[in-house]
Amino acid sequence: MPKPLKIVLKILAVPVIFFAVTFPIYFFNLDMKMTSKLEPFLLKHYDNLPRDAHL
Amino acid sequence: MAEYKTVEKVCGPQRKGETQLGVLYDNGKVRRRREWRGVKDTFYDYTRWLYLVSVLARFVAKPRNIKGFFRYRWMANYLGVMHGMDKFTIGLRDEPLRIAHTAMNFVINDVTQAIDHCFRGDRRVGNDKKYSDNCVLTDENAMTAFMMGFPNVNAILREVPTMFSANIFNQYSTTHYLDVAQEWGLPGDVCPMPEAESGISIEDDFCVLGCCAVQVNTTCDGSLMGNGIIAKRLEQDYNIPTFQLVAPMRHRMDDVQDYAAEDIRRAIAFVEEHTGQKWDWDAYFACAKRVNDATRKRIAQMEINSTDYPQFVGSVFSLYNDTNYMGNCGRSPDFVKIDEKLLKLAERGYQKKRMLATEYRHRCIIWGVQPQYIIDMLYWMIQCWGVVPLTDMLSMVNTKMIAEEDTPENREQAYYDMAWLNMNMIMRNRTHGGYRVLVDELWEFCEQMNADMVMMWEHMSCKAFDGMHGIFEEQARERGIHIVWVTHDLCDPRVYSRQDIRDQFNVYMRTVMREEPLDPTIEVLPDNDAW
Repeated sequence: MPKPLKIVLKILAVPVIFFAVTFPIYFFNLDMKMTSKLEPFLLKHYDNLPRDAHL
Repeated sequence: MAEYKTVEKVCGPQRKGETQLGVLYDNGKVRRRREWRGVKDTFYDYTRWLYLVSVLARFVAKPRNIKGFFRYRWMANYLGVMHGMDKFTIGLRDEPLRIAHTAMNFVINDVTQAIDHCFRGDRRVGNDKKYSDNCVLTDENAMTAFMMGFPNVNAILREVPTMFSANIFNQYSTTHYLDVAQEWGLPGDVCPMPEAESGISIEDDFCVLGCCAVQVNTTCDGSLMGNGIIAKRLEQDYNIPTFQLVAPMRHRMDDVQDYAAEDIRRAIAFVEEHTGQKWDWDAYFACAKRVNDATRKRIAQMEINSTDYPQFVGSVFSLYNDTNYMGNCGRSPDFVKIDEKLLKLAERGYQKKRMLATEYRHRCIIWGVQPQYIIDMLYWMIQCWGVVPLTDMLSMVNTKMIAEEDTPENREQAYYDMAWLNMNMIMRNRTHGGYRVLVDELWEFCEQMNADMVMMWEHMSCKAFDGMHGIFEEQARERGIHIVWVTHDLCDPRVYSRQDIRDQFNVYMRTVMREEPLDPTIEVLPDNDAW
């Protein structure tokens, strides 16, 4: 394969791979499914923080 | 009794992509998957998702923001930002989808910056003292008009990210703070918004920054109670002097205007004293021009919404107006460009007869105070029942032009204009100000916008509407307007769940209107545990 074509293919591969990875995350809502799993651990952490609670 | 008004049904083409939106929901915290909108619109939605990912990535790239994330409980609600955005685009295609994204992405970006600014000056997180000394804590429910002449001072609305917007992304965001407030003896029957803010202050979960603070009496006993508790902590624990800007409630009366203008003068003098900055008239009048520009654009949007093809409607219309009109108040030139873009999109959508659903059966005005935890219900009404929310009470704010040329007379007029804006802040201008602004003008808006229906949010903890129920009912009947009462508890979903709220609307549509839903798969949604 000629070298310029290889370079062009490599350049094209970047957005294609980026799309192939991020689109399923977007479409199947994997980002939100993951962050929703984090919430209980965070709430536990906040519960354990010392607080200066008063009126 | 008058005959009930009807409007002509408007039908559009079959929607591209998903037609039954119920498939997106399960019993989880978030949706099963995102909506398929056809290739073009799904790709557009995906690019906006990428944009929001980049906004959040820039935010978390700063170590102080990570520190703040682990310090403040309310930050956990922002795990659901993308989910929140999805709620505002349900069923949308073409221009309405682009309008929702343009406006709401800008609001999200604005909130992200607000959090970043809070953390930068916060004594516990960024502790940038020089920055903090140049900040004025400004009440969430205040028009920031009194800051229009201070271009070099930062107005920090710390309640917005802490309470207001957090509840949009997570319906349970306030419940912990409400419990805290009530554990400390505060009554449980006040508005949960100021009560949650009191709980945040009691638990010391507000960022602490600023050289001074300005609080504004909002609309109710709850707000006054909350301000007292917050001011006590600011002044006694953190040595932050707090000014009480007192807006008269009967804001249409001539005899309150002098007092209101004088109070604005005092607020400005207070900010000058504590920041060491002088009021800048050039900056003020530049802001005034932008306020007028935003007002003109808002009126133009509502004119489009008065036609058969409304474009910029629903909760995003309301939230964008809140941010632009009240939080910004002409201070940032960035809003001008967004206003222009939104109007162009709306005009294009109108020309192409774009619709938000396949069928419009009723034209509805939304009145009363909206529940924060199901603020997206207005899109559900469109998709489920074909009821179009033309505008909402909180968006029906000032339409007067304020003085924008720098002359000696206008410098005097400016105090009256700022006072007018302050009195006509989104939560005050209709719930207070007398019978005319709350009741009479509603029927005028119904006439102007050709509405046959009013959806009346009844906030169960709000005293401002007490006693008005019967009057609204009686007058709606006389005018042949359908009025649907929907009770909620503003930002506490434990008494009225989201489905309880939707069911009130469902029952009216089935029993009184004798109609079947456009999309029966979303009549009941399993989102009780959802963010």
